[in-house]
Amino acid sequence: MNKPSKHNFFQARSSRRQFLRNAIGVASVCGFPHLLRGLSEPVYPFEEIPPEKSGIRWVHTAGKSAARFLPEATGPGCAFLDYDNDGWMDIYLVNSGKCDFYDPNPPLRNALYRNNRDGTFTDVTEKARVQGGGYGQGVAVGDYDGDGFPDLYVTQYGRSILYHNNGDGTFTDVTEKAGVAVPGWSASAVWFDYDNDGKLDLFVCQFVEFSRTINKSCGSGEEGKHGYCIPRLYKPMPSWLFHNNGDGTFTDVSKSSGIANSLGKAWGAVATDLNNDGLMDLFVSNDTVPNFVFMNRGKGKFEEIGTFAGVAYSGDGRARSGMGLDSADFNQDGWMDLFVANIDLERYAIYQNNHDETFDDQAAPTGIGMATRLMSGWGLKFFDYDNDGYLDLFLANGNPDDLIESIHSLVTYQEPLMLFHGNGKSFVNVSAQSGPAFAKPFSARGMAIGDFDNDGATDVLVANNDGAPILLHNNIGSQNHWLGLKLVGTKSNPDAIGARITYQAEDLKQQRMKVGGGSFLSSHDPRMVVGIGKRTKIDWLEIKWPLPSGKVERFTGLPIDRYITIVEGAGSWK
Amino acid sequence: MCPILFMASTIRVYVFLSIILLACSSFKAQTVNKKHPAGPPDSDRGLKLAEAGKCAEALPVLRKTAAGSPNKDTKRAVGLATIRCAMTFDRRDLVLDALKSLNNDFPADPEVLYISTHAYTDLAMRESLDLARKAPDSSQAHEMQAEALETQGKWDAAAKEYRLILERYPDLPGIHYRLGRVLLSQPNPPTDMAQQAQEQFEEELKINPNNPGAEFILGKIAEQSQHWDSAEGHYSRASRLDPGFGDAFLGLGVSLISLKQYSEAVSPLETAVKLQPGNPAAHYSLATALARAGRKEEAEKEFAIHRQMTQKGEAEQGDQAGTQQNPN
Repeated sequence: MNKPSKHNFFQARSSRRQFLRNAIGVASVCGFPHLLRGLSEPVYPFEEIPPEKSGIRWVHTAGKSAARFLPEATGPGCAFLDYDNDGWMDIYLVNSGKCDFYDPNPPLRNALYRNNRDGTFTDVTEKARVQGGGYGQGVAVGDYDGDGFPDLYVTQYGRSILYHNNGDGTFTDVTEKAGVAVPGWSASAVWFDYDNDGKLDLFVCQFVEFSRTINKSCGSGEEGKHGYCIPRLYKPMPSWLFHNNGDGTFTDVSKSSGIANSLGKAWGAVATDLNNDGLMDLFVSNDTVPNFVFMNRGKGKFEEIGTFAGVAYSGDGRARSGMGLDSADFNQDGWMDLFVANIDLERYAIYQNNHDETFDDQAAPTGIGMATRLMSGWGLKFFDYDNDGYLDLFLANGNPDDLIESIHSLVTYQEPLMLFHGNGKSFVNVSAQSGPAFAKPFSARGMAIGDFDNDGATDVLVANNDGAPILLHNNIGSQNHWLGLKLVGTKSNPDAIGARITYQAEDLKQQRMKVGGGSFLSSHDPRMVVGIGKRTKIDWLEIKWPLPSGKVERFTGLPIDRYITIVEGAGSWK
Repeated sequence: MCPILFMASTIRVYVFLSIILLACSSFKAQTVNKKHPAGPPDSDRGLKLAEAGKCAEALPVLRKTAAGSPNKDTKRAVGLATIRCAMTFDRRDLVLDALKSLNNDFPADPEVLYISTHAYTDLAMRESLDLARKAPDSSQAHEMQAEALETQGKWDAAAKEYRLILERYPDLPGIHYRLGRVLLSQPNPPTDMAQQAQEQFEEELKINPNNPGAEFILGKIAEQSQHWDSAEGHYSRASRLDPGFGDAFLGLGVSLISLKQYSEAVSPLETAVKLQPGNPAAHYSLATALARAGRKEEAEKEFAIHRQMTQKGEAEQGDQAGTQQNPN
């Protein structure tokens, strides 16, 4: 494996320029955007990398029709993954395609872009044989067979696809053999080990019952145009849980586990441990019906407690349009919190864990509620973009209804991205100071985080509906010190989903959990980056590996400003 | 020419003008263009006189025959003609008598209901004009003017009227309250508008400590700022002042939940549910309080009621949405 460089090829500038960049970065995070003015070439925390620079010229095609088939409004997803294990994040993008209401000519395809390690990417889709082939929605990445190479599960309206990574730059469609060919309309999917047998299982969100023949026509807007119907009109469906048999096949345990007892309209899912019992739970966002919390009670059984947990409805008991979501311990109390984005006029929710399987929505006191009251959110993720040690929050937005502006004067179809800077207690909306990309309107859907240039500053990929993806380079994270961690499970699942990291750097003590999934239709860089601000040393770092080992390993003398790999039980890093 | 139009052009009351214009034209069309049914000779004569616009002669005849006609159609036509002619001569007493009779005899008749709507609107207009003419500087006249401006969405002008009243009658109950509500109603208000409104409600309570509405809105303002202790106090006082104020009990319960006083939240929320049995939010909050107070079985029952209500509501909304634009 090639050792990742810690040098950022976007930062090869003069020392004076570097000084200004540092000043701007600090100013923007500290809320002094006025310092940005007066500079001839301001450098913002995030910089949009254009297709001519990145080489990513693929464009999503929704195939928008006069009939307004609902799936046209919802995709796509995207992923950062290292498919060839060279230590550099590659990119996968999902496209629409042939289905019962759409037959594009020429055919559409998904795209796999290999990272050239110089800020550019090369389209290797055909060679890798991961074109897809149906009306694609999202992608979940996980090494389900533990061979060290990440595999792809592509969700679709129609039949989803499991691509096994052959380890030689190619993939094989093993969907039928594996037994995971989910029919109907699948949305987000999550790899996680629900029974702690050390193998990654698969949860697949099922949205509504849908087909060309039951597509509904919703009223006419301006000039008699049809609009996309609210999902309330469609019937809910049960989601899917597949148990990994360890031999390349899976068993459908949706019913026996209790998952299928709950009918939902699921968009997003994140695997997380909400009650610190070592069993991975699932938080599932539903559109126009209550959200679910599937608490893992062990022995392969889940109990849906969303209503009792206080996350199913809004504070006044209304089911909202839950779409993107995530889980993180944003207030660093040792308990995983939740976030779910909703549609315009509903406000997003940030649920603080009360340590007793209940949650309180902190959208109002954190300011997130007011900031998102007109927005519709899809891809989103908690991560520490400036490596100051505290989790921040990135939101990708866009209204699903392209006639929305004829209904609401304050709501727009395309919406800006949003960035909130965290301080361990609350968040400040720093979108306006974070770069021109945050002032542009997008029809954002999927969103993935990943450090594509290995500078320790986590970058962002946003997949737009019916448009080109946006690659945002993080200019600010590398100004603080950091450590990147690739965790490899041996007894626990290979991707170490559910691992907890605690670290101390001088006065800074933080903890992180490696959740499964999150965001919307998308999959993230599997590595974790822990920031320490201006501190120059990590005193110690502790990893609590997921069950079945549950082993705790403590490391001292770790380097900073580079990526390392830690293999469970090895007692060392490399 | 509609007489109201003339009067309206001479004084500063514009509210309801368009409604009245509609009322005048529709009223005339409804009554004149229809052939009156055959009835007793006196009724016929009265209706013919009314149709010819000879209301001065028609009105005594119509009054005489109104009660005695055995024919329902004739009785209805007489009643409608009486209203039109009585309005012409501003005989509000006769209009009210005819309306009472018509609504009693023809409670589901669309035309009667339509004419009644316009007649009552017209009567209200005339009363407001009387107020403006007879006591133009009274607090009531300004209050009426301010309310009219409110209905037109002219928030700044309405606020100005209320402030004018307060300059002259600083201790008049209800005006600070109305002004506070106007301030909160403004679209895209300045950042300090909630504070301005809050001050008005607080002033109102100094004048009238028994105003549950002011207490309730102060509770809402505190709730929006996440000042739950303050919200709890305001809602508590509002619910004591008006024991039938369901929203105040609901606000009190929600505040107590937010203060994590779950057991204490149950009682006000039970009251809210009793007062507003059809409000899903009340059932949801009660269920939440019960669940977090450890009363799981009772909570499950309330959650089930809430679920049934929301599912029914969503199904109805879904049916509506099928024929409408996406109602996000």
